[in-house]
Amino acid sequence: MSKVRICALVALAIGAATPTVAQEVFKVEGAPKVAIVLFGPKNDGGWSQAFEEARPSLEKVMGATIPVVDKVPEDAASITPPVERFIQRGHNVIIGTAFGYSDTFKKLSEKHPKVAFLNASGITNGPNLESFYGRTYQSQYLCGMVAGAVSKSGKLGFVAANPLPVVNWTINAYELGAKKMNPNATVTVVFTGAWNNPVKERAAAAALIDQGADVIGQHVDTPTPQIVAQERGVYGTGHHRDLSEFAPKATQCSSIWTWAKFLGPELEAIKAGNWKPQPYGAFPGIKEGGTDVACCGSAVSAEAKEKIMAARQAIIDGDPIFAGPLKDRDGKERLAAGAKIDDAGLWKMDWFVEGVVAQQ
Amino acid sequence: MIDFLVSWIANTPGFAAPYALAALGLIVSERAGVLSLGAEGFMLVGAVIGVGMILSFGMPPLPAMVAAMVAAALVSTLFAALVVWLKINQVIAGLVMVFFCQGATSLIGSQYGWTNRPFTGLPKIELGPLANVPVLGPILAAQDVVIYATPAIFLGVVYVLFRTHTGLRLRAVGESPEAADAAGIDVSGVRFLSVMAGASLIGLAGAYISVGSAKIWVEDMTSGRGWIAVALVIFARWSPWRALAGAILFGAIEALVPKLAAAGVRLPQYLMLMTPYLATLGVMIWIAAARRGAAPDEPGALGVPHVREERR
Repeated sequence: MSKVRICALVALAIGAATPTVAQEVFKVEGAPKVAIVLFGPKNDGGWSQAFEEARPSLEKVMGATIPVVDKVPEDAASITPPVERFIQRGHNVIIGTAFGYSDTFKKLSEKHPKVAFLNASGITNGPNLESFYGRTYQSQYLCGMVAGAVSKSGKLGFVAANPLPVVNWTINAYELGAKKMNPNATVTVVFTGAWNNPVKERAAAAALIDQGADVIGQHVDTPTPQIVAQERGVYGTGHHRDLSEFAPKATQCSSIWTWAKFLGPELEAIKAGNWKPQPYGAFPGIKEGGTDVACCGSAVSAEAKEKIMAARQAIIDGDPIFAGPLKDRDGKERLAAGAKIDDAGLWKMDWFVEGVVAQQ
Repeated sequence: MIDFLVSWIANTPGFAAPYALAALGLIVSERAGVLSLGAEGFMLVGAVIGVGMILSFGMPPLPAMVAAMVAAALVSTLFAALVVWLKINQVIAGLVMVFFCQGATSLIGSQYGWTNRPFTGLPKIELGPLANVPVLGPILAAQDVVIYATPAIFLGVVYVLFRTHTGLRLRAVGESPEAADAAGIDVSGVRFLSVMAGASLIGLAGAYISVGSAKIWVEDMTSGRGWIAVALVIFARWSPWRALAGAILFGAIEALVPKLAAAGVRLPQYLMLMTPYLATLGVMIWIAAARRGAAPDEPGALGVPHVREERR
């Protein structure tokens, strides 16, 4: 996953800021046949496995098996051969799963104008190419509520990879969610500088617990922070998939990918011949599928769970989470009273809300 | 404050041990004249095999780590054959080994389902009542067995290298293979075995990262520590004790960075992440400046293949 989301979707940000161009309907030639190209191993326990787990339900939509090739690195020489082979065999809907596929998918989509391309966490779009990513701040907001509800000290820890907008918004939403349950809750963040470094993740989680954190949230790719939380007898919240699989006692909530819910209707539309690729990519939230929560663990009281599920419904009904008045941790006003954040504001989020303790 | 210091110092050996063991392994091989740039790869082999032995064969952590040492030594025979017998350029062969091991360990790990599977791993052993002594207890008497063993491993290797006939022959091969050859030493044989012995220590360092520290396997999890060990050996000028001191310095920095962040110290994140490398640069410059004009202490034939027919 490392490079996948790293600078992800800058184009989306620009797209969101610019007036939308008219969407064009794209029809594939003949009956649609889907194939998936995975970035990581299909059992990576995270990003790639989430797509693999969406596959059976997509197969049901298509009424046919969907072949997968996994461990395809992010360079044209690795991506092109499997995609070309799929196309030769008559596949005309190709789903990719990496930021680093963006350029190659763009070229392939121009070379094969009759084939539909979709790419998760990509940044390129076209008449037959659509990039997509989930609104993970929604699911991490709910995980933050869980963390605030189960924390006794009100001191939450968060292990994150790098301070990029896609990570910053999960941290900020986590803190806002926690505050909803405990107005004094703070989130202390340790950035490890890597998506996949269990040694650093373990050190970060242990250091946070040493400093009194009693819930450990995360936005890194391995389940290590959850495992440390369980070893140390505190709680945690996961990312990518339901990490209670790894730390059943600790993990009380996980932000998960629900690609079947987003890709299902996309494939239905392709089948029906009325698919309109979003000119600036798709950015689905809990409502449209893409992201959601696996909630809640046994430490969450029924009353808290009710509140969390009500908040989930409010998000589906349009709660923007980042709404004014909202100040950053230095006291500067970021959103005036009554203002809501727009997608461009999300994609360039380089500030932290009050209550977040983080390096600069 | 005192708690912070104690827990920082107590965490340092866990971060220092892989650097120390890998650097020691590199010194063994480089003292015999073979530049083992494949360290990162051998570490990965040790890391994945250690985990695999635990997950698939139910081995306890210690035997699993021994198996990891054997595996790394076996993989290193490929490297040794390339550079000792076939006389292939050691830098290129070392780089190839890193890429080969990265691919092979990722493949094995995902093929057998070892990726992202947590396990108990190497436990901390509290040395009876000693562990309850304030300040010193947690630092000296509550570590795991590899950390207790590391000083002994260093003493043993230093003894063999500098106090035995075997060590003398090994160093002779690294300083002047022609002279060693003339004295009747089997240069290729000594180099081959030195590479294997070094790789087994590097494999132990890798297994410690997965079995001792992280208690999980993910692809490429050594994340450059093998390369830091390579640099460590250069700035330690091929001395095991200086390498140990360097490893402790690195371990201390690596242990400190997350602690400062968790304590809410607001420092620029990227500055924190580059501190180990800043330290490498600083120490190398310091040593280079301090040693100006002194005799070179690099093994005389480091990186040079020995071909008897080309004897000078």
